[in-house]
Amino acid sequence: MTNSLFSADLLPIHALIEAEQQAFIADEGGRKRAGYFCAYTPPEILNAAGLRHARLFKAGSPEIVSQGERYTQSVFCDFSKSCIGAFDKEGGDPFYHAVDKLYTFHTCASMKRAAEVIEQFVPTTLLNLPRLRNEAASRDFFRSEILHYRDDVAELVGRAVTDSEVSAQIALYNKVRRLLRDFSELRKRPNPPLTGLDFLELVRGFYYLPPATLLTAYEKLYQKLARTHDDGSRPIRLMISGSIMADGDRRLVELIEREIGARVVVEDHCTGYRPFAHTLREDGDPFAALADGYLDQAPCARMKPLDDSLDFSTGLAEEYGVDGVIYVYLKFCACYGVSKLEFLDRLTASGVPVLEISSDYSVSDIGQLKTRVEAFLEVLQGQRDDRIETNSKEHVHG
Amino acid sequence: MKANDVFGDDLVATLPQITTIGVDIGSRQAKAALIGGGSVHTAITASGVDSQETADRLVNRLLRQAGVTRDDLGFVVGTGYGRIALSYEDVPTTIVTEISCHAMGAHALNRGTRTIIDIGGQDAKAIRVDPENGRVIEFIMNDKCAAGTGRFLERIAELLGYTLEELGERSLESGKKIDISSQCVVFAESEVISLKAKGERPQDIAAAIHLASARRVRNLVNRLGLDPEIVFCGGVSNNLGMKQALESLVGHPFTTPKLDMVYAGAVGAAVLAQRHYQAGHA
Repeated sequence: MTNSLFSADLLPIHALIEAEQQAFIADEGGRKRAGYFCAYTPPEILNAAGLRHARLFKAGSPEIVSQGERYTQSVFCDFSKSCIGAFDKEGGDPFYHAVDKLYTFHTCASMKRAAEVIEQFVPTTLLNLPRLRNEAASRDFFRSEILHYRDDVAELVGRAVTDSEVSAQIALYNKVRRLLRDFSELRKRPNPPLTGLDFLELVRGFYYLPPATLLTAYEKLYQKLARTHDDGSRPIRLMISGSIMADGDRRLVELIEREIGARVVVEDHCTGYRPFAHTLREDGDPFAALADGYLDQAPCARMKPLDDSLDFSTGLAEEYGVDGVIYVYLKFCACYGVSKLEFLDRLTASGVPVLEISSDYSVSDIGQLKTRVEAFLEVLQGQRDDRIETNSKEHVHG
Repeated sequence: MKANDVFGDDLVATLPQITTIGVDIGSRQAKAALIGGGSVHTAITASGVDSQETADRLVNRLLRQAGVTRDDLGFVVGTGYGRIALSYEDVPTTIVTEISCHAMGAHALNRGTRTIIDIGGQDAKAIRVDPENGRVIEFIMNDKCAAGTGRFLERIAELLGYTLEELGERSLESGKKIDISSQCVVFAESEVISLKAKGERPQDIAAAIHLASARRVRNLVNRLGLDPEIVFCGGVSNNLGMKQALESLVGHPFTTPKLDMVYAGAVGAAVLAQRHYQAGHA
């Protein structure tokens, strides 16, 4: 990979991530290795136990998808197929093969069934995540599930995980989340000093790097980026909303930023800005803080009420002053595919133009994808030109 | 054809006195339109492997038709799948997506256009157009699914022993309603084969295919609202069976401009080329 992948100076961070993955596979230090799928799994517990850990969200290769397809019907999303395919002993991904234990909170039907298939490849603990995020009973129940999760992790490492260790990790991860928020905040500038691809790489780092390593590297970069001078260009600003954007699924953002020259300035999905929007409580019972904190984070569309997700999405589009939203969901996604009309209608009603794209990890549709994105940007550019014209006319007459 | 007849006096009055060409390289057919000297000329050919070569052929044909030379050309706009490959050293050129070009084309050819349904060789789309200026307000386009597109209808025509033109015409002779349940090209094909084996008449099967395809397109584009006036563009707009099926599902007759709407994208590109020239991009 070359430096041209990123606009900001992200190569050192990219190298750290690659090195961490190699260490994970090579079992350096002999620590147990845990993996998890979903942004509703608190890494605080894994880190408190001293595990090596990573979110498993590598996907984007059609070969891995077809590997997973041997175990599923065709109507599973390509991400869930990729998760199975990567764990499959034949073919598959060495990084996934290195996982000693998989933790997964039951999110959507596809991922739950995927986890049940994966159980034959790796020890797996499936935990429950309540849907009704605002009910007191959900919080109590989720807290008890997190305690099961802690006990399971303690058994894996062969020692207790104490409350104070967990509390310390909450504070540490809060620091990291805040820092990622600060990075994203820089994208509110009319000429953001980092691209959407840059930010996705920072998020990638969050899911692979130990937080202490991350903080050192990221703080330095943040200082540098915050001092970047505005060169005066005003790219079209886009928000990406919808399903997971896997580590390896970059074709849409590359198309937008590198071929067309627009910018993704914020993401309403679980592998972009969304998981960092919330800060957890740092005092009192750490398990109640985790339960509340993860239920209070900007919600996935699988949570109820859906209005919370719609409010967050429209609010974010406004906060970042976007010219348009690209709503992209994986084909057969049981959450974002099915609630697409609610999202499209709500965003449109709030006055933001939206382009709907259903996607997968094949490569044959790149031409159609390009046509749609280019045409959408022609529409947005036209609207922007109109606004400029109207403003200048008003200025003359006013 | 005279530009005033095709576009109307009001639009022609806004155009600069210059010759421009729009080239629309589609997946199956390449189309081009020339505006200049008070006339509109069109040309069509099968899309070749080399988009630039196909485009050159069309441009030369149009120049000959119009009796002008390359030096008279003020601007070229390229569009369609093959648009990326287009470039000319001697003429200012720009690339615009077929979505914007179809919108401008349908607007130029029929001022009241609010909605376009465009079905080409490989895709189907609907575009909401601003009747003030021919600009795109919103659009929806199919993804990889080829149901209802030109390529699909070509395949079905082969199976039924029709030419592509016959497929649409013959379907209008249908006297029996058959239900085709499949939304998928591959399955629809096998459904057609078993219907044939059951002894169903090809006219009835053709009508059923058009209805199933039209339903698929209607479902795709429904979210746009489909306000009249609706214009049907793209290669499939010449298929009478598809037109009738779509009209009945949408519930509005389509407006038919004075030009074959397979040229909508090329004409729109040529109009946009006029605007670009005007704006001093030349």
